[in-house]
Amino acid sequence: MTGTPYPKQQMHRFAYTKLTKEQIGTKLGPVVLKGPTSVSAPAADFAGQTLSIVTDEGPALKYRFTSNARLSLSENGGKALEAGFGALESDNFCLFTHLIPGTQRGYAVVVDRKSKQATVIELWFSGYEDNREVQRQIYFGYIDAGADAPKGRHELTNRLEGRGYHWRQDNGIETLEYYPSAGYSHFVELSRTGGELGFCAPSDYVKLDNDFILYTRTECEFSGTFTAAVIDMNRVQQMGVRLGFDEADNLIYCLSRGHGDITGQIAHFEKFEDNTGDPIPGPKDKESGKPVKGGRRVYRPVHTMEKMSREEVAKVVKDHSTAFPAGTTTGGAAGMSQNALPASDYLAGKSFTLRYDHGPVMEYRVDGSDQLSWRMNGQGDWIKARYQAYEAAPGLVLFGHLLEGAPDHDGHIMAVDFHQGLVTCYNGYLNTPYFANEAGARTLFGVLEMEGVQPPQYRRHQRTTEMLGRCITYSYAPGLVSMHLYSTPHTVSWIIFTPDQHGGMEWSGPGDFVKIRDGIYFMYWLEEACNGTLGTVLLNLNIMHDAGIGYNCGTRGLNMSAIGAIVRHAGKFDVDKYFQIRT
Amino acid sequence: MSKHSSSTRRMFLKCGALLAGPIAAVSLPALALTKERPEGGLQARVARLEDEAAIREVHQAWLRQINAGGGTALIGASVTRVSADHAGVADRIDIAEDGRRATGRFDCEVEVQRRLPDDFTLGQMAHAQGSGTLRTTERRVLTVEYLKVAGAWTMGRICAEAG
Repeated sequence: MTGTPYPKQQMHRFAYTKLTKEQIGTKLGPVVLKGPTSVSAPAADFAGQTLSIVTDEGPALKYRFTSNARLSLSENGGKALEAGFGALESDNFCLFTHLIPGTQRGYAVVVDRKSKQATVIELWFSGYEDNREVQRQIYFGYIDAGADAPKGRHELTNRLEGRGYHWRQDNGIETLEYYPSAGYSHFVELSRTGGELGFCAPSDYVKLDNDFILYTRTECEFSGTFTAAVIDMNRVQQMGVRLGFDEADNLIYCLSRGHGDITGQIAHFEKFEDNTGDPIPGPKDKESGKPVKGGRRVYRPVHTMEKMSREEVAKVVKDHSTAFPAGTTTGGAAGMSQNALPASDYLAGKSFTLRYDHGPVMEYRVDGSDQLSWRMNGQGDWIKARYQAYEAAPGLVLFGHLLEGAPDHDGHIMAVDFHQGLVTCYNGYLNTPYFANEAGARTLFGVLEMEGVQPPQYRRHQRTTEMLGRCITYSYAPGLVSMHLYSTPHTVSWIIFTPDQHGGMEWSGPGDFVKIRDGIYFMYWLEEACNGTLGTVLLNLNIMHDAGIGYNCGTRGLNMSAIGAIVRHAGKFDVDKYFQIRT
Repeated sequence: MSKHSSSTRRMFLKCGALLAGPIAAVSLPALALTKERPEGGLQARVARLEDEAAIREVHQAWLRQINAGGGTALIGASVTRVSADHAGVADRIDIAEDGRRATGRFDCEVEVQRRLPDDFTLGQMAHAQGSGTLRTTERRVLTVEYLKVAGAWTMGRICAEAG
């Protein structure tokens, strides 16, 4: 089939098989002696060599390479075992990988032949409740050649934080990778899934020297596949290894080479002298106080999300629906509203109609600064609703309200331009297919009809890619800052920061982007499979502030609440060209 | 309530050697008083100085406990550190006429730790990465009530208002 290979289900929706330990063992067995596959020719100078690696607080590995595809390994002086391996080289760096017979473990090893330093990544399956999720432990060490051990070590770093790459690998895989965090990364699979959405994964960044960095990611919450790549930052080339199981549960174990382009470098926010990595330290053993082997903090939103049925949603909406609690601009997500714009009485006393193309006709009578009445399609009684409005720019108002009685418990959140007679509505609704309390969103374009306003006949607000690749920090309250990364025309990713301002955990969801005025954009993100919130942002880059409204349903009720932040522009990745449809 | 008071420079927040400064500073007016007042006045003055020193000791112990990691609950939040606000007004301890109650007023910088809310995604992520608390430093005026019980000064109510 020609065209873009869109998946039937995106990664966050795919029901990956819960592979058993035995199933994994069966799949690994035949590969142990073969080693990884590789399209590019593997390194051919290993036969007859020996290599001894000593790691700090980790294993001692003695290798004997009997050919360029077969080795024997003794771990910590133990019995030597034979395995297949593959290796790639770049300058003085060598990456080789192998599995260990009779186990579900393996190693990926990066050796610097010049400095004699080594980074050893131990990999294993069946180490987490989801057996297919590859676990990793990184050890730093050196080549033991009998002489004095080098004092230096490879080290975790933030030196790649803020960088973005487009990679094209020898196996046809084409990805966009964003590194806006020192502990997570964001990737967009252009060739394999069409690049509609980007996804996030916990990552490691290891400084090998000033020119080469080792990057890893584990696709936790998805397939569990592990990727490591040695990145040559000057030549924009990489050599890497991938280990895991795909959607069809086929084992992926391959080496690859790739070349790419730097798509950009955004700001990062640590103190200038702080080049440290590992911003999210893993858990420690309660007794020894030492880090748990393979331990890492992973954001697992599907595990923690409240999941409700249609019946439960109907009951909680009936009993506990709130919109903009009285006397305050705060709501359910109160933590995200401390820096919100003040509520506006711009709409008070006005009557108007919002006529959406191929959508409803909404009539409004606004009684005051927080109460309005609405009627849909000229039918039925007028329904009172609590609302709040924010004047994001002169004559440009964001307001929202719940639609009491709507079968899917809708909420309307609108950017209305009273100067231009235009409106865009994000229509949030519940009872979506995966979790009934997870919000969905429709984007409605239309016009404002009101005495004294002549709306345009053809012109409408339009979707835009002007935000694509941009990173905007949102300071909602002291200690509560996130950075949005608009990684695809349909993705909003958000990164939170650690107390020392490293980029920390990151997650993402589908989004939409509409240009309202020059420098003013109306956007939403959907926390699909992650709390189910619809978050909307009317971002005014002229004043570097936004106004926003959140729509969320959980066990405590359906809630519409204010969101608002002081913003900064952290930079932009130049990725437009990767999202063009070509013949 | 007080009849006797003295202002000292950051006396309760400084430990050890610095304590000698304030005590020495108040000793000069004490000597001056001896020329004007009978012997009983001098005894009262000495007793008051002893009371002030004892109150400072109580305070220092309290501060050491907080700053050593014990923390305390104040201003509706968890205070993890208290230190002198050197830009503030001088400390003041007022001892009541009956000698059994006292009030201290101290300008401080308090380090406050607040738990970020976790009922929305960003808060949950902050907690998941181990940074679910926010530490800020705020200027506060501590007003502390002391009671003398069985000859020993103890701390009573502590009020911390915005400085």
